Amino acid sequence: MEIAFYLSGLVAVLATLGVVTNTNPVHALLYLIVSLISVALVFFALGAPFAGALEVIVYAGAIMVLFVFVVMMLNLGQQGVAQERAWLSPRVWLGPALLSAVLLVILVATLWSGEGGRMITGETLTARAVGSLLFGPWLLVVELAAMLLLAALVTASHVGRLPGPAASSDRRDHKEVP
Amino acid sequence: MTLTATHLLALTPPILVCATAILVMLAIAWRRHHTGIAIVSVVGLNLALLSLIGVSWMAPLAAPMLAVDGLAIFAAALIMVAALACATLAHAYLAHYTGPREEFYLLLLCATAGGMVLAASTHLATLFLGLELLSIPLYGMLAYVYGERRSLEAGVKYLVLSAAATAFLLFGMALLYAETGRLDIAGLAARLGGDIGAWGLAGAALMLMGLCFKLSVVPFHMWTPDVYEGGPAPAATFLAAASKVAVFVVLLRLMTAAPAFQNSDLHDVLAALAVLSMLVGNLLALTQSNLKRLLGYSSIAHFGYLLTALVISDGLSIEAAGVYLVSYLLATLGAFGVVTLISSPHASSPYVAGAHGGTDAAGLHHYRGLFWRRPYLTAVLTISLLSMAGIPFTAGFIGKFYIIALGVEAERWWLVGAVIVGSAIGLFYYLRVMVTLFLTEAGMQRRDAPENWAIQAGGVVVLGAAALIVALGIYPVPIIEWTQSVRVLTGG
Repeated sequence: MEIAFYLSGLVAVLATLGVVTNTNPVHALLYLIVSLISVALVFFALGAPFAGALEVIVYAGAIMVLFVFVVMMLNLGQQGVAQERAWLSPRVWLGPALLSAVLLVILVATLWSGEGGRMITGETLTARAVGSLLFGPWLLVVELAAMLLLAALVTASHVGRLPGPAASSDRRDHKEVP
Repeated sequence: MTLTATHLLALTPPILVCATAILVMLAIAWRRHHTGIAIVSVVGLNLALLSLIGVSWMAPLAAPMLAVDGLAIFAAALIMVAALACATLAHAYLAHYTGPREEFYLLLLCATAGGMVLAASTHLATLFLGLELLSIPLYGMLAYVYGERRSLEAGVKYLVLSAAATAFLLFGMALLYAETGRLDIAGLAARLGGDIGAWGLAGAALMLMGLCFKLSVVPFHMWTPDVYEGGPAPAATFLAAASKVAVFVVLLRLMTAAPAFQNSDLHDVLAALAVLSMLVGNLLALTQSNLKRLLGYSSIAHFGYLLTALVISDGLSIEAAGVYLVSYLLATLGAFGVVTLISSPHASSPYVAGAHGGTDAAGLHHYRGLFWRRPYLTAVLTISLLSMAGIPFTAGFIGKFYIIALGVEAERWWLVGAVIVGSAIGLFYYLRVMVTLFLTEAGMQRRDAPENWAIQAGGVVVLGAAALIVALGIYPVPIIEWTQSVRVLTGG
């Protein structure tokens, strides 16, 4: 288990280095996905399967796929096809693929040796434990996070609005949904 | 510890502010009405401010992850007064803005709630969330007039740099957690005991760095003048007044409660930062020809003076910091309030055509001969600047007197020397601004406040700030008694 922890940690660091050194956003995002998956494996090794699963589902799954879609859509242009072809060169996918392969080997080896249910130290943190903590003593923090998301949403929607005094004054006169 | 009805009752003020924010959001969804939204926000803030009186009967009380003690109530009162002033100033400022105006109040209320939570936090999780709830609405407020290049620049600059500072803060928290396994400040204090070890020291130093960025103490001060200059005046007012007060109070709480922050090495570093802030802030302010930038540099120097109270952190320090914070808050509200009123577009000005077509009126040339056009506004600005300089009969004098008394009592002569040198330099540039106000010449800039500014809410705010500065400068007993009674709840 310790080996799995350290190897996943190493993969996370290498993949994150790939994120910040890459100049092409799509390539950087590929590395970011690998980095998030390796962090999920670190969570599993530490005995927090719920956090690990959330990391895979929410970050590596939903958010990152959204990122990749948006970035790819923005790049649609005349050179779109040429760019797609360029992205298929081994130089691009070899790095993330190798790092993911390391993660796969760690996962399979751990499962093979029958250590699947174990962790480095402490008790397993289940979804039940996390939930009763969040909605017990940490209730205020959850509510604060809700306010934080509201503020971030309002900020983003305000700054992201298309400028143009005519449109906005027109909107102000009518009833509208924000 | 689970949340009980008593805890909820004690946390009424932040809950009321959050409820007002949600009410404002729903009202915007229903119908946009600028004055109506402003009135709802101000009424909500006033109710929360009144509820503080009731809450002060219950103090001290340890709610889960938050403390309702004298310090938290003191900070909440200051933050809400600043928020009220910003809301009324924003109403005047945004009156002729052509874009959507109502979201500003929503963001202001969210940031106010964040500041109150931050000042009351006794747990690293609430500290982090409070700080973010304070900062994220501020990005939106600073970039509010986003059609204006400088405003957008200020918002983005603050966003990027503040995210970097938050990363340092989080890394520091992670190191402290790795060392102790606890996230509550009382638990941290108990585990760390006397010797805090290398990792504990590194964690405390990184946290200090993140918080010092928000206070714009000298090595982390680069963002301050640009953000102050670019942001819309009411947002800059909130940043300079409420945000800094909240962060300073949480730093004060950390320093008094956790032994990791009482390490002598850290205190030496803080003392060096304080001296640097006083000297660099004041020296850079000397060459400024823009009033908002000048106030930005002067706020760097003021937090240098305030850090002195943290470095010494015994005896009078909470009292001194409290008195200084009150005087700083009032002077900042007065000075920025005048800048806001002068920058507010109004019907009789030639600027109304492209309402906010230009940046704020912050260049010193806009203020040349202001006395001959707006004598009362000039008086307010003069009193605020005199208070910042620490002239007797203003609240600033009492604050500075406390800081110097604290330094002399602890025999920290370097700090005392820096305070005196800094004040001397400060006096020069404050007086330079004051001289400009009274100069007159033909064909001077006609950038002017609205004719009826005095009867509007914004005018009442700046006149009230000036009156309080003078009143507390002559009769400071109420504020001294209040700060003397402030107690910090360390347990819980």
